[in-house]
Amino acid sequence: MRFAGRNAARAATAAILAAAAAGCAPAGRVAERPAHRVVSLAPSITELLFAIGAGDRVVGRTTWCDYPPEALSIASVGDGLHPNVEAIVARRPDLVLFYTSSSNAAALERLRALGVATDTIRMDRLADVVTGARRFGRLTGTARRADSLAAAFAAALDSARAVPVPGPRVRVVLLAWDAPPVVIGGGGFQHELVTLAGVDNVFGDLARASGQVSIETIAARDPDLVVLLGETAPEPAWAARPEWQVVRAVRERRFVRLTGSEFARPTFRALAAVRDLRAAIGEARR
Amino acid sequence: MRRWTALGALAIAVLATAIVVGPAGLAPGDVLRGLVGRGDPTTIAIVRDLRVPRAVLAFLVGGSLAVTGAVLQALVRNPLADPYLLGLSGGAGLGAVLAIALGLGGAWAVPAAAAVGALAAIALVYRLAVVAGAVLDTRVLLLGGVVVGAFAAALMGAVLALSPAEDLRSALLWLLGGFDTASWRTLGIFAAYAAAPLVLLYRASRPLDLLSLGEEPARFLGADVEPLKRLLYVAASLLTAAAVAVAGIIGFVGLVIPHAIRLLWGHTHRTLLPAAFVLGGALLCAADAVARTAFAPLTLPVGVVTAVLGVPVFAILVRRWSA
Repeated sequence: MRFAGRNAARAATAAILAAAAAGCAPAGRVAERPAHRVVSLAPSITELLFAIGAGDRVVGRTTWCDYPPEALSIASVGDGLHPNVEAIVARRPDLVLFYTSSSNAAALERLRALGVATDTIRMDRLADVVTGARRFGRLTGTARRADSLAAAFAAALDSARAVPVPGPRVRVVLLAWDAPPVVIGGGGFQHELVTLAGVDNVFGDLARASGQVSIETIAARDPDLVVLLGETAPEPAWAARPEWQVVRAVRERRFVRLTGSEFARPTFRALAAVRDLRAAIGEARR
Repeated sequence: MRRWTALGALAIAVLATAIVVGPAGLAPGDVLRGLVGRGDPTTIAIVRDLRVPRAVLAFLVGGSLAVTGAVLQALVRNPLADPYLLGLSGGAGLGAVLAIALGLGGAWAVPAAAAVGALAAIALVYRLAVVAGAVLDTRVLLLGGVVVGAFAAALMGAVLALSPAEDLRSALLWLLGGFDTASWRTLGIFAAYAAAPLVLLYRASRPLDLLSLGEEPARFLGADVEPLKRLLYVAASLLTAAAVAVAGIIGFVGLVIPHAIRLLWGHTHRTLLPAAFVLGGALLCAADAVARTAFAPLTLPVGVVTAVLGVPVFAILVRRWSA
């Protein structure tokens, strides 16, 4: 255990150094001609490429890229967070798109050293969809369609934010895991989705995307509903555990499950997701 | 006698503080009223159903880990021995990670799988270390524990590498240990389960003193060495397996508390074991209180706090002792 810990620390240091180096360099070596063979290393990036009409140029995806369904017919190069450089190179890409993370920084360096054009982007907020669409549009030669989609999405977001949702405010906790309890804070797109749906996230004051909290805090903040992310069972198994009965919404079994991939990543489908969320919450309140 | 009064006072002070403080920011008066069942129902539930069982469970687990560490250090005569040394953390971790990766249903699937994994590791290590049908070779026990632990950790690494990112993160969080699943029921199960091994280990105090001199001297001084070693190993391992099932893997307490007591009060197990129990319990209970409140509403893994609180104190003790 001790040796594993030391190796992990070493790997983490290397990753931090690599990330710092990546941060200093220009945003990757970008090809001048539009890319024709793109490998995407995040589900949000794959979806965005398809949305802007560059889906036919995607020649590699991650195991988790499941939307749109056409994406499933593309060869998978494995897990995007720990990319397999050999599998990526075997797809003969002229552009590889990364989700910015310390866990894939080493692979990014390797690909750059091999002369493959790369770009990295964080896809954490709904605004990142707009930025990403514009950037990928230029990289793949689909700028006209990408820019108009981005502009329409940005305008729709603005007007959705401007219109207040009628009725009493519902207070929810967005739960990503139960032991230890991990909740969604104000720093992620899921918080934006619930806010757009006219719902208060009781952990919206956490600046980060997610955080580990205790059941006591959830009980004290007393949400009306528990929104479950990625849970497939109609009622989670842990809801039967005694310590969770202190939380009123759990005791009353007031759960809303968000299972679709539009709740797992920021996409152009966000506004449809907000409509579904509003309907699901209205249903659960009844 | 003064020592025991001081330890008792420390235990009571730590338990009381752990019940009064918490991320919900309740006033001490409200906590007291909640304790006797008066006031706001949510406050009553937070105090009675979350804080009290959590504080007591943390105390019992900390005490059990410290006792286990003390016993194993004497058994294998190695100052680096801790409750997880003998392959338990690897076995328990593998069980838990498999349960999470396979999406096993049921409210108790993960702790039960961890307990099963720990028991499997214990059985395997025991089988490796028993030679000629009866003799438990403590050197092989030590080596067997390390290799079984490494093997389980490798399998765990493979499962984690092949699991979705979300599950992976959650499994790693579970492995860091904590008392988020504390309730009267987990407390009851742990207390019922830990009582017998704790009593057995305490009753073995005198033979443990002999055993720490070495197996040959112990035999000459009249200890029945082979049954004693088996009893110590099985009782200590079962106690650790129970701790893992309710709290995950919490390092440091079992390694360092026994040494701290030895430095302060000497090596006699009749004193060492109960004192280690109280001090280990107080440390883990205090660490959990800090973990819950220091960065509220965010929580820290309790193992991080035990090390941050305990290492400086231990370093001072070692300095004073060697000076």
